[in-house]
Amino acid sequence: MKSQMVWRITISALFAVALSNRTALAADPRYPDWPCAQAKVPEISLAQVWAGPPLDDAGSKWKDDPKINALVTRLSARRIPLEEAQKEITEFLSSAADKATAGRLLFAGLFDTLNAQRASVMNGLERVMRKQRNAVEKIRSDTLELQALQGATPPDQPKIDELGNQLVWETRIFEDRRRVVKFVCDVPTAIDQRLFALGRTIQQELE
Amino acid sequence: MWRRCLLTGVSAWLAAITPASAFIAYVSNEKSNTVSVIDTDSWTVTRTIKVGQRPRGIEFTRDGKFVMVAVGDDDTIQVIDAKTQQIVDTLPSGPDPELFAQDAAGKIMYVANENDNTVTVIDLEKRARIGDIQVGVEPEGMTISPDGKMLINTSETTNMAHFIDTATRQIVANVLVDARPRFAEFKRDGSELWVSSEIGGTVSIIDPVKREVTGKITFDIPGLRREAIQPVGIGMTKDGKTAFIALGPANRIAVVDGASHKVTKYLLVGQRVWHMDFTPDEKYLLVTNGVSNDVSVIDVAAQKVIKTIQVGELPWGITIAKP
Repeated sequence: MKSQMVWRITISALFAVALSNRTALAADPRYPDWPCAQAKVPEISLAQVWAGPPLDDAGSKWKDDPKINALVTRLSARRIPLEEAQKEITEFLSSAADKATAGRLLFAGLFDTLNAQRASVMNGLERVMRKQRNAVEKIRSDTLELQALQGATPPDQPKIDELGNQLVWETRIFEDRRRVVKFVCDVPTAIDQRLFALGRTIQQELE
Repeated sequence: MWRRCLLTGVSAWLAAITPASAFIAYVSNEKSNTVSVIDTDSWTVTRTIKVGQRPRGIEFTRDGKFVMVAVGDDDTIQVIDAKTQQIVDTLPSGPDPELFAQDAAGKIMYVANENDNTVTVIDLEKRARIGDIQVGVEPEGMTISPDGKMLINTSETTNMAHFIDTATRQIVANVLVDARPRFAEFKRDGSELWVSSEIGGTVSIIDPVKREVTGKITFDIPGLRREAIQPVGIGMTKDGKTAFIALGPANRIAVVDGASHKVTKYLLVGQRVWHMDFTPDEKYLLVTNGVSNDVSVIDVAAQKVIKTIQVGELPWGITIAKP
């Protein structure tokens, strides 16, 4: 009896959460699966983050330069603190033979790599949102089924317990995902921030 | 010669007692839960005040003695004494206050509570809640018509600008605008109401008498994706001739001709530019850049960015003392 109470409380709380989630977000009709409060910008445009010299063919050439390649991989990793990455850029460009070309190639590489990283995070967020929507449907139908089982005479207690347990798990997974989504929503912005800051350092070196 | 010397002396003395731009700006930092105080003479942060959680809407009281800041996650509005720069009181808003507006006399304040679809009415002298107005889903933008008769509130999800009669506190009209309206601003002569739409990517021009949309400002920046253009904050010069519109992650401020509603220039500022305020002499416009964590200073006459000042994390709102 007590465990049934718990299910009921959890489930009604879950619906309250699912509903309030829906109203707390003014959804963008263009991106119905986008779960974050920040309006979705699918990719970073060059003009958002770069006011330096035109990149010209740097976009296709940076991959051919192994040194640039290695540096791009290193600096794109967000576990390297921003200040450290900026210091490395300054050191690298100060010792470069052709500073202007090296700077353009480096930025083109960072732009491509961080933009791709960002896109994959955003796709992941939308995938999770779709899963969440299915989860809500499943929880809703399981709840109805549970209510029907509880109303039947005589009640099939083993079945009630089984379905009740299942619902508790479904609810827990839904809640965990919700917390993760909220946290991951900050990642695209963190990437924007890093790309902008690294771009600014490169531009200052080229000035 | 002697007279000229005297004149020079007098003007030098005058200049000394009235420094060109000695104003104080307060910036709310949404993520670091602080308010940065900026001296517009030295363009430096002179103090960082710890406030409640998620500070957003921020404004001086009309008498310039206090700064009010909505701390959404603490469900209240904190009052900072401008002299001591310390929190001295709180105001009773509803849950998750975001933006607010004061009447011309500075006696009544209207607060948009994002979470419960209401606008709270507060008596500023008694610092007491005197009523609530039910509005659309996720109320946000707030402004009062120059004649004080109409309160405008925009609701993010309902996509409307609600016209609320300040005498009866009833909604008298709803004007549909583009998706996710964020901010509303009247021209000083009351002839036009501008409402920005973050997702729609437009600013609607509304005739406040007919209460209908009469025009729309659109933005087109070469090389930028449409989604990156998210109009939010609006600033208009007192003469109504020039407007500045913050375009969010486009990292630009659009300069708009107040009469023709045409964009004349885009100014590159910091990342995710959000809200703004003029210095009282209208020489400078300060804008908050939420992602690059700084404030850009724009020379209004030259329409140029002249300075960037690092502040706290996620700067959101800004208010500048009126002398």
